[in-house]
Amino acid sequence: MFKKTEKVKKDLQEEIRAVTTLTDAEQLKIKYLGRKGIIQDFMKLIPTLPAEQRAAFGQQINALKAEAANFIEDAIGKLSREAIPKVNNEIFDITLPGKLPVTGKKHPLTQTIDDVKEVFARLGFDVVYGPEVELEYYNFEALNIPADHPSRTDFDTFYIKNDILLRSQTSTVQIRVMEKQKPPIRIIAPGKVYRPDTVDARHSFMFHQIEGLLVDEGVSFADLKEVLNQFIKTYFGKDVRMRFRPSFFPFTEPSAEVDISCSLCSGKGCSVCSYSGWVEILGAGMVDPHVFKAVHYDTEKYTGFAFGMGVERITMLKHGISDIRLFYENDIRFLSQF
Amino acid sequence: MKISYNWLKEYAYFYLSPEELADKLTNAGLVVADIKPVEDDYCLEVEVTSNRPDCLGIIGITREVIAAVGGELHIPDTDFETLSAKVTKFIDVTVEDPVLCPHYTARVVRHVTVRPSPEWMQKKLRCIGIRPVNNIVDITNYVMMETGQPIHAFDLDKISDQKIVVRRALDGEMIVVINGVKRALFHDMLVIADSKRPVAIAGVMGGKETEVSDSTRNILLECALFEPGHVRRTSKELGVFTDSSYRFERGTDPGGIELASKRAVKLMKELADGEIVSGVIDIKQREYEKKRIPLRIERLQKILGIEIKRDIASDILKRLQFTIVNEIDNFIDVVVPGFRGDIYREIDLIEEIARIYGYNNIPAKTSICVRGSIKSKYEAVEDCIRQFFIGLGFYEVKTFSIVDVSPLQSVKLWSEQEALDIANPLRQEESRMRTSLLPSLINARRYNVNHGNESIKIFEIARVYLAGNKLPHEKTCLSLLIDADFFTLKGIIESLVLYLGISLKREWIPFSEPKLFRDERAAKIQLDDKTLGYLGEASRELGFKTSFCLSELDMDFLVEKSNFEKRYHPLSPYPPVFRDLAIIVDEEVSWTSIEKCITATHISFLKGVNFFDVYRGKQITAGKKSVAFSLCFQAEDRTLKSEEVETAEWTILDVLHTTLDAELRKL
Repeated sequence: MFKKTEKVKKDLQEEIRAVTTLTDAEQLKIKYLGRKGIIQDFMKLIPTLPAEQRAAFGQQINALKAEAANFIEDAIGKLSREAIPKVNNEIFDITLPGKLPVTGKKHPLTQTIDDVKEVFARLGFDVVYGPEVELEYYNFEALNIPADHPSRTDFDTFYIKNDILLRSQTSTVQIRVMEKQKPPIRIIAPGKVYRPDTVDARHSFMFHQIEGLLVDEGVSFADLKEVLNQFIKTYFGKDVRMRFRPSFFPFTEPSAEVDISCSLCSGKGCSVCSYSGWVEILGAGMVDPHVFKAVHYDTEKYTGFAFGMGVERITMLKHGISDIRLFYENDIRFLSQF
Repeated sequence: MKISYNWLKEYAYFYLSPEELADKLTNAGLVVADIKPVEDDYCLEVEVTSNRPDCLGIIGITREVIAAVGGELHIPDTDFETLSAKVTKFIDVTVEDPVLCPHYTARVVRHVTVRPSPEWMQKKLRCIGIRPVNNIVDITNYVMMETGQPIHAFDLDKISDQKIVVRRALDGEMIVVINGVKRALFHDMLVIADSKRPVAIAGVMGGKETEVSDSTRNILLECALFEPGHVRRTSKELGVFTDSSYRFERGTDPGGIELASKRAVKLMKELADGEIVSGVIDIKQREYEKKRIPLRIERLQKILGIEIKRDIASDILKRLQFTIVNEIDNFIDVVVPGFRGDIYREIDLIEEIARIYGYNNIPAKTSICVRGSIKSKYEAVEDCIRQFFIGLGFYEVKTFSIVDVSPLQSVKLWSEQEALDIANPLRQEESRMRTSLLPSLINARRYNVNHGNESIKIFEIARVYLAGNKLPHEKTCLSLLIDADFFTLKGIIESLVLYLGISLKREWIPFSEPKLFRDERAAKIQLDDKTLGYLGEASRELGFKTSFCLSELDMDFLVEKSNFEKRYHPLSPYPPVFRDLAIIVDEEVSWTSIEKCITATHISFLKGVNFFDVYRGKQITAGKKSVAFSLCFQAEDRTLKSEEVETAEWTILDVLHTTLDAELRKL
């Protein structure tokens, strides 16, 4: 019996050497290892042997089976590796485009609001909101803009009826916050505002503003300058320069308009900055004592500053967008660029 | 305001090019928006803020230049010889409303020759965009542009009975103004009248009948002070805005009347060969009192955050023509010149000092304390929702809150109340506050489809405006539009709700709003028995070729119910067992009722019921459907035995059979 198994092993080795195709190798596998194959035939003999020989023979057969399987699999592996270039001459083109998952984008105005919120959050400012349909009082009187005052010319407003209007500035939120809360106060208030402007490339009857307010003891104009400096450097870039110009807002005194050096021409002068090298980005100032009086704050004890910026304006500046209407057309080809 | 560079130089010596001058003015708060060469001069377009009417005259702007660079102001000489005849012989003035006209002056110039003004005057007027008319009219314009004080010249011979009355208009009174337009006056309006009729709308515009013409011989020159608020109201009501009303409504200098009046008659003598009548009609309510304000240097330093010295502060104030009455220790006692009506408080003086000191010379430095800012729940949820939708390929849009009055825009998803309308809309297209974002999203889709964009997925987070008591309720909504079927969008919403940690009971109730949704393909979503929002396939009436789905959710409610507090649940070490079942039920039996039936069995190790298919076809009796689902069984404490699972399965089938008449579908 032992000799027989040795012979089988030898035969197999010879046959394997002769095999040249994968099909032949598969045939060989069936011949030796199949259910009706040579090795299985040996297995069937086991019960016919005397009991004392069965175990040893069994081991022998198993060893043979393992060896045979190794030989055949090696051969198959070798042949199939060789077979590939012959059977299949396709090339795996790694330069074919990938399958892009669909992604969306935040609206560019939201991106600006989020960026500004983040800068000011790091400076300790909380985000608050106020109503868009507002009482005239919050939009005007409380902000030191009395009726029949020429400063109202700068604030044309949509009215719903009598003393109810669509806020024309987010400064309304200052009053609403201060009415409810005592200093210290550190807030920013983003939101929609409305002005009856005819729509063109630079005007929209609805747009967004972000208002900021800080009130505490001992707050000065120098603090205002530094806080805005931090914001400008973080948001527009370290090399951007800042300029404060005296201006007038009824709710701040002193009031300033803040310019930054034109990023497009680095201050040399171009069409974006009207050849001045500067672009206006926000209005700011120390909170007017009249405003504090409206909310019953002690004007001797507390001082504060406020600032406001147009979201569309700074987004247009940052991305070189020339027409404000693009923000509200919502063309996916536009939205996907930001 | 437009100013001439050469003209400005007549009042002060300075060595600044037009560009340098523009820079100085801009840094002092008078933004020069444009510099244009005109003939041999330059026209500077200066933006004057509404608080600075004193800069609506070239002398006023010169004062600012002097404050910035130093120097002395040269006020034109106003000495002249007069006739011996007294002005009262030629005109009688009565002011009936001294509140609206606190100061009225009149002078008379006789025997003028009306002809073109000299070239030097015409040139300056042309430079700042004023069309020369004749010497008299040009002089009134010239003096107004020079001093900022509007003046008006009447043809004295056309004033009935040589009488001027400053009074309120009578109801129904009319006046033909200089530009030939006939205007009805209201009772409230202040007019300048003669014995018969109004001859001018006070501070706004003169009348046609008494205007200076080529044949005019004698001039009545009015130079007055009118109440700013009243001029503004009148001008607004009539829709007439003039250089004169622009200045009066901002507040003119009560101390500047004499200069302007004298300057004008002197020029009439020089340029129109007029003879000035002696004296002036001067009706003044009270003597003008100059304001006196004490300034604390300590306060100045506190507001500005710099160690600015008293002498620097007082020097700046002097350069601005303020009078320093007293200066001791930390105080400066300041008297404000009449032309600075905007200065009446200490803080106003502080701004003046800061402005001239130079905002850019104040260092940027801060000592504000460190403070942590915590994101509000709203902010956190909003961020989370945006990220969720962007990840799913949605673009965020922003649309207008003011919409048209079309039926689509009048959908009432959130309130039965009527929408709020704008009282003074610009156009009909934008005249109503929206009550839903969905019509705007539909329009955004239309815009995109028309521009060749496909597979639209958009969302918006914005407010809708629902009529309330005094102010409306502004509800924040989350609205979605997707080019996909109902169940895709429903799945997205279900997923969002879970993403926000909301495990409250949800229900989908049939809903109908034919303007928005296709019939029988819309649902109201209930969360914890309250309305979370609406979902449906877009109505065919909207006129699109392809179908899409819409949803609007109550964002405030989502925020309220969101739960980001997470607790760990131990993972079961025992394997789950899945069993797929298909049952045949009547067409009317909803999935919700099947699901409820199954969960009502309260099998402790039943971990999930997942629908996967509904089938209607040949093998199924008409009026019935086959619903296939997968059951997931898993115990926390043991490996389930197959008998347990089998028993559970039969329990479920049994309940489905008894309650819903369901049969197991044999495959």
